[in-house]
Amino acid sequence: MIVSANLQEAARSLLSAKQRTILALIGIVIGIGSVIAMVSVGRIVQDEALRQFKEMGTDILTIEKDFGGSPGGGPSKAPASLKLADVAAIPPACPAVAVVAPSVRGSGEISFAGKRLERAAPMAVTASFLDINKLTIREGRFLSDLDQQSQYCVIGSEVADELTKLGARPLLGSRIRVGTHLLTVIGVTSEVPTGGMRRFEPNEMIYVHITTGLRIFANAELSTIMARVRPGATNDLAREQLAAYFSRLKGPQVRITSPEEIIAQMEKQMQMFTLLLGAIGSISLIVGGVGVMNVMLVSVTERRREIGIRRALGAKRGDIRGQFLIESVILSLVGGLFGIVVGVGASWLIAHFAQWQFSLSLGAILLGVGVSSGVGIFFGFYPARQAALLDPIVALKSD
Amino acid sequence: MLTLRDIRKSYRIGPTEVDVLKGVNLEVQQGELLSIMGQSGCGKSTLMNVIGLLDRPTSGSFMLDGAEVSYTDDDALSEIRNQRIGFVFQQYFLLSRLTALENVALPLIYRSTTGTDHHHRCMDLLKRVGMADRAHHRPNELSGGQQQRVAIARALVGSPSLILADEPTGALDTQVGGEIMDLFKILNAEEGITVVIITHDPGIARQCKRVARMQDGVILP
Repeated sequence: MIVSANLQEAARSLLSAKQRTILALIGIVIGIGSVIAMVSVGRIVQDEALRQFKEMGTDILTIEKDFGGSPGGGPSKAPASLKLADVAAIPPACPAVAVVAPSVRGSGEISFAGKRLERAAPMAVTASFLDINKLTIREGRFLSDLDQQSQYCVIGSEVADELTKLGARPLLGSRIRVGTHLLTVIGVTSEVPTGGMRRFEPNEMIYVHITTGLRIFANAELSTIMARVRPGATNDLAREQLAAYFSRLKGPQVRITSPEEIIAQMEKQMQMFTLLLGAIGSISLIVGGVGVMNVMLVSVTERRREIGIRRALGAKRGDIRGQFLIESVILSLVGGLFGIVVGVGASWLIAHFAQWQFSLSLGAILLGVGVSSGVGIFFGFYPARQAALLDPIVALKSD
Repeated sequence: MLTLRDIRKSYRIGPTEVDVLKGVNLEVQQGELLSIMGQSGCGKSTLMNVIGLLDRPTSGSFMLDGAEVSYTDDDALSEIRNQRIGFVFQQYFLLSRLTALENVALPLIYRSTTGTDHHHRCMDLLKRVGMADRAHHRPNELSGGQQQRVAIARALVGSPSLILADEPTGALDTQVGGEIMDLFKILNAEEGITVVIITHDPGIARQCKRVARMQDGVILP
C-alpha cells in the first residue's frame, strides 16, 4: 500500500516539475550512457581482438629467444644464438609440430627512387611464413625456398600503394633500397584488416628470404619462430616436445608461448582497459548523481509544508524518507534506462564505423540498471534524510 | 480523555529562554465540544501542537486516553496522530497535487493495515461533508469552504477519537464559517467525537459547549 502510493506520488511529483526533472535526467542519462558505451566498446574491442586472433589459428606456438625477462627488447647479450639449421630440424624432431616459420626483423633505411618509405619495415622469413600467418598473395608470388640468398622481396599492400604513388609501374620488378641493398619486388600480399593480433603489421612489411635477411640485416639474429601444431596433436604436447628439443640443443634459452596464454593475457589487459574506460565514465555518473541530489534537495525544500502535513497525518520519519528515496531512485532509474539506450546506441555507432562486430552486452545493461539505482539511493539518501528530520511544526509553518 | 497537568513549554531564542506555556492544566471529557480561546501570542498554538503530539512539552504530564504520551518516541507519536487524532487547519493544508478523494485517503496510506474498502469509506465521508460531487477535483478547483470540508473528511477518515481544529474558520467568511461550525457540532452531537477548537474569535467560541480562555501561557480558571 505505502510503496505503491509512494511510487504513484513520486511519479506525480516528478512530472509536476518537468523541467527540473528533465535537467536531472540529462545528467544521469549522460553518466549512465557513457559508462555503458565505454564498457560495451571495451567488450566489443576485446571480442574483436580475440576473434581476429582466433582467425589466425589457435594452433600456433610462438618460440622466442629469452633475453632474460625482457622479451623482444634490447640487444642480445646471450652468447648463443639460434641457428637456421636447428630451426629447420624442429619438425622431424618434434612430431607434434607440422611447420615452423622462423623470422628475423631487420632495420635500416628503406627508399624507392630516392624517396624514403617511412611506413615500411623489412623482415626475413621462409616460404612457410605466408601460410602460417594466413596471408595471401595479390600479385606475383611469395618467396620460395629456391630464393635463398636472392635479392628478391615481397611487399605488403600498403607498401605497394606507396610505390604506385611514387610511380612504380609495373610494380613487379621495381627495386627498393634497403640499407645498401637493392631488392626486386616479386610479389604483393593482399591487404589484411589492421589491428590484428600479429606482432607485425603485414601491410607495411617488406619480406625477404630468411637467408638473405641474415646476411643483409645489421645485427640480424634469429629470434622468433612460429610453429604450427600438427592436426590431432595438442598444443601442450607440441610445447613439451619443443621444450625438450631446445634443452637438448643446449643453445639459448627460449620461451614458448601458446595461444591460450596470449588469449589469457589479452583478456587480462582488455579487462584493465574496460575497467579504465568504466572509471572514466563513472566520473560523469558522479556529476549526474550530484544533479539528482540537487534536484531532490530543491524538491524537499519546496515541499516542506507537504512534509509537515504528512507528518501531522501520521507519516513516520521512515515513511517520509522512503517517499523521497523512491522518488530519487525512480528519477535515476528512468535516467538509467535512457542512458542504456544512449550508451548501447553510441557503442553501436562506434562499432559500425570502426567495422567491428557489434555485440550487446547483457552485463553492461545490468550494470546500467544497478548503477543507476545505486546512484539514486546514494545521492537521494541525504535529501531524503533531510526531509525525514524536518520538525513537523517547522515544516507546517513554512510556505 | 485528555488530561494536561502543569504543562510547560519554553523555547530558546538566542540567549534568552522564552516561556510560552506556563503550567497549563486542562481536562477534556469524551464527547466534549471545547474551544480554547485567547488572543494571538497567548500560547494557544503551542498548546494545540502539544495536544496534537506535534510538539513535546518541556515539562508536565499529558495523558491521552489514560496513557502518558508526552515523552513517547517519534514513531509512536506518529502512530497516535494517525489513529486517534484528526487535524483541521486554518489553511486547510490539502495536498495540491491530489484530488479531494486522494487527500481524504492520505492518512490511511500510513496505516500498516491494508484495506480494500478505503475508496468507499472516503466517498462516504465526502458525502457526509457534502462534497461527494467534487471528489475528483483538486484543491485549487474548490472554494475555501469546500476545501475545509474536504479537510474535515480527511480528519475523520481514520475514525479518530479527537478532532483538533486550529482556527478552522479563520480563512472563511462568516456564513461559510458558520456552516463549518455546524458540521463540527453535528459530528460532535451525532457521533460523539471529541472536538477541540482553537480560536481567537469569541463568536466561534460561543458556539461551543465549553470555552477555556487562555491568557499569557495559562488557562484561566
